[in-house]
Amino acid sequence: MEKDLLIDLRNVHFSFLLQNQSSIKQYLLSFGRKKLFLQKEVLRGIDLQVYRGESLGLFGKNGSGKSTLLRILAGIITPDKGKIKVYGRIAPILALGAGFEVELTGMENIRLLGSLIGMNRKEINNSIRYIKEFSELGDAIDMQVKRYSSGMMARLGFSIATAGNPDILIIDEALAVGDKGFQEKCKERMFEIKRNGGTLLFVSHSMEEVKKFCNRAILLSNGVIEKEGTVEEVGEDYLKLFT
Amino acid sequence: MRNVKIRYKNSILGVLWSLLNPLLYLLIFVVIFREVFDIANYPLFILSGLVFWTFFSGTSIQILNSVLDSGGILKSLSVPPIIFPLSYLLSSLVNLGLMLIPFFILMLFFGLQLSWNTLWLIPGIILLSLFTFGFSLIICALNVFFRDIGMFYNTILPAIFYVTPIAYPIEKVPASYQIFVKLNPLYHFIAFFRDVLYYNTLPSISTLLTTGALSGVFILAGIATFNSLKKGFISHL
Repeated sequence: MEKDLLIDLRNVHFSFLLQNQSSIKQYLLSFGRKKLFLQKEVLRGIDLQVYRGESLGLFGKNGSGKSTLLRILAGIITPDKGKIKVYGRIAPILALGAGFEVELTGMENIRLLGSLIGMNRKEINNSIRYIKEFSELGDAIDMQVKRYSSGMMARLGFSIATAGNPDILIIDEALAVGDKGFQEKCKERMFEIKRNGGTLLFVSHSMEEVKKFCNRAILLSNGVIEKEGTVEEVGEDYLKLFT
Repeated sequence: MRNVKIRYKNSILGVLWSLLNPLLYLLIFVVIFREVFDIANYPLFILSGLVFWTFFSGTSIQILNSVLDSGGILKSLSVPPIIFPLSYLLSSLVNLGLMLIPFFILMLFFGLQLSWNTLWLIPGIILLSLFTFGFSLIICALNVFFRDIGMFYNTILPAIFYVTPIAYPIEKVPASYQIFVKLNPLYHFIAFFRDVLYYNTLPSISTLLTTGALSGVFILAGIATFNSLKKGFISHL
């Protein structure tokens, strides 16, 4: 049987726009001799295919382009060059609760995010039931997110991300927060999503963690895929970077 | 847009607050400057400009930080960034609509004459909205990269209020400086509303053409600036 392609990246390039000067004043004083913006290449030709049911671990030093790659996959940013195709629904990346409006309550955040990704009222209500139950936040769900502890935010974030059986679940080092009980629950849920045919993209600095979930891994370095293979092979190369 | 509702569910009070600001200004000007400027029906004169100044300043201030404030969401969801400024524009328009009710009553009390000319208010508001949105998109997009812009804008906004002939007629400005006043786009929009509400006439052809052109230029420039810079938003939030 031919494998079902889920993610297809071909020669993807991405560069950031960085400002050349720290203020408009300096730009104006240079009379156009300096450019206002500079390009900084973050991804330099990424080729990656992920098939349904496969789970992929991502290794790489800080600043190697992991988060940028994940954002490209999630459609948050579009590549400058190259082709990207994603078949299926990607869960929102809510690593460490970064995507919340802190002035709103947990419940309002769920509704806001739901409507932003184009869910209708019924879908949102279904998600809310699941999120309430899974996060075990209880009454705290009606509290402003700015009063949440980091563990509570992680609970809400993970629950939102895993609502509605996504085809692709991106986990960006989010498991470190939350207490032991919730960590176990998250892992159980990740296995469940895998069993249902979902695909995991897992960023972690711990080889053991990645080994539990992933059958394949890549090592990102300076915006290119330096190594691709089994978790052991790639993990070893990753560790070598620090010796 | 549903997120407008979620974001501004607390804005019932917000409408009251936005009434307070122009009322305060109205009071100051009527009490202190009535004698200075010696204009027939001075309260109505001020009101016809003040309401729309409040719309412009309030909307531009909100949009200025809209993208910065939504950094978390922009980094984690694939949503077009323009919905944040857009939702502020829409809520400001709703706000303006609500604000116009008490102010209309107030203006009628101060001797506003209603006629078919009053309906020119609607195209006026549309043109002002386009101009305000375009202008705000430019400062909003640049503010993501250069936070000085936001600081600078907040500082000069009160000054813009005073150099725009809102509380006084342009004729009071020395003739040699009037040309500079006319370089201020807001002058033309205020003139539009003043023609309609205070003088109860059609806006003059030159005002119509100028405001139309300004709206067109600013909305196009705003969208172009925003679109060409939005790629860099993520890395600067």
